[in-house]
Amino acid sequence: MASDVVAPAAVGRPRIRIQGAAKSFSGRVVVDVDDLVLGNHPIEGLIGPNGAGKTTLMRMIMHSTALDRGTITFIRPDGREVVLSSLPAHELAHQGVVKSNQVIMDFDKLTIWDSLLLASTEARYEQPYRLFSERATFERHQEEIRHYLDFFGFSDPMGFAMSAGEKKLLDIVRCLLLKPTFLLLDEPTAGLPDDLTEKVMEVIKELAAGGTSVVIVEHDLNVIWSLCDDVHFMAEGSVVLRGDPQSIRENHTVVEKYLGEGHV
Amino acid sequence: MNLDWLNAFLISGLFEVVVVIGLALLLHLELGLARIANFGVVGFWGVGMYAYGVLYVQVDWPFGDPWQFLVCLALATLAAGVAGLLVGWFIADLDLDGVLVGTLGFATAVAIVATTEQDWTGGALGLGGLRFPFDLDSVKSEELVWLLITAAVVAAILFVVWRVHRSPYGRSLIALGANEPLARSLGKPTFRSKIWLFALASAGMGFIGAFYGIMVRFLELSNLGVEITLAAMVGLVLGGSARVWGGVVGVLLTVGLFDIVIQSYLPLPRDWYTQTIPVMREVVFGATLIVVLLFRPLGILGDMRRDKLMRKLHGE
Repeated sequence: MASDVVAPAAVGRPRIRIQGAAKSFSGRVVVDVDDLVLGNHPIEGLIGPNGAGKTTLMRMIMHSTALDRGTITFIRPDGREVVLSSLPAHELAHQGVVKSNQVIMDFDKLTIWDSLLLASTEARYEQPYRLFSERATFERHQEEIRHYLDFFGFSDPMGFAMSAGEKKLLDIVRCLLLKPTFLLLDEPTAGLPDDLTEKVMEVIKELAAGGTSVVIVEHDLNVIWSLCDDVHFMAEGSVVLRGDPQSIRENHTVVEKYLGEGHV
Repeated sequence: MNLDWLNAFLISGLFEVVVVIGLALLLHLELGLARIANFGVVGFWGVGMYAYGVLYVQVDWPFGDPWQFLVCLALATLAAGVAGLLVGWFIADLDLDGVLVGTLGFATAVAIVATTEQDWTGGALGLGGLRFPFDLDSVKSEELVWLLITAAVVAAILFVVWRVHRSPYGRSLIALGANEPLARSLGKPTFRSKIWLFALASAGMGFIGAFYGIMVRFLELSNLGVEITLAAMVGLVLGGSARVWGGVVGVLLTVGLFDIVIQSYLPLPRDWYTQTIPVMREVVFGATLIVVLLFRPLGILGDMRRDKLMRKLHGE
């Protein structure tokens, strides 16, 4: 197994520590991480060739894919540690650990407004005995939702998300409305036009400046180089290299295995 | 008021329609919103009916009606709710096939228990001794009043379902049915939601079952057959399983048409009523289900229209 890079712990930032985590599919090891800390920097990138295990690692953090072994711990800004891998999946969002999806996922029967209200609404309003709380919920969250709807320019927010790009944006806005302290973004700008990619990057920067740790998996390397403070390079299930974007970009292994000679 | 036109047959037919509408509305919450295919409706209905009957008839209560009625009704509803909680816990993480088998299995288990526990339920001989919690001058008046009370209960269920569609709770159920992993990633406790939905809907089905038992006043094992599940399911799917009024429209067009129009107003031979009509009813309902699923899977009223509803609720 290639050695994972363990960074010294930073103080005050929300972080995720992955220890001894492994996942195999049909005997093939897809992820095998010895000890990895994500979130030491405001925005970190996770790059690597196809099949390196980036998306699987993110899914393991979020319980979407079960771990074969290992522990995943969330270190909160106040220093308290929560073992994510022993929590029910829905508790992760309550801890502030949120992820956008690589593959487009949506609630096909819910409108854009519905979907965003769903993300915003607190559990106490979603009880079967609170059948008259729609108005209160709407009034509590409409300003924040309208802000994002206006910012990203959804064409018909009372209707359904129609295009792939709109569904992708909706997924990101749902994550933002959960007020994450640790945000994992899996190819957030895939399929988005340039102007919306810029807007997504702007929002990510704002979020990170406010104290949220952001980890991005992205194949558009311009996003990684321009946005990230630190980059993890994954290959064959492990993080084999970590450093600032410039050093990763110029690294011989990365150039050889992933970028190609012409990219530097 | 002259009620000569209202014969026992018509009251019985109307009562059947009202009861099945109530069950279809509760099934709508499970199947139409949360996409849980409960094929054991009759099981929860039967738990409520038999729990009420056994408690009312076999227990020597120190008080009479209406307290005896209210206490037995509350306990029967609770029993059906607890049964729903347990069954819900077993099936919550299963796929569609597992839910189907699990709920059908539960309904079968209820029928077996009612058959074998003869000391309590009367088994194949049936359980008599139930009566209305009030006394009026004639059986017909009592049945008519009970029909009206049951209709009021079902109207209340309809109102609750209507409100569910307009509440954050309803939205969370739709999300759970449409994409459970995504709902979970947004912090929604989907497992717990499914269990509680199942418990509440089952309690409602048990409540209606108890009302049915009081109307028929004699509990028979034939009440625990698949007919009631089929009637609620066919009615709901025909009307539109995702729509509030789907169950109402569908049940009126199936049970209403068959049990009232055909049985009460068509000049059918008398000997058909015991054997032929009940069999024909199941054949027609089964065929209706197949035809609807083939040609109009979303039912007569079609899919839910959240876009229209959201515009109505929140403007723009």
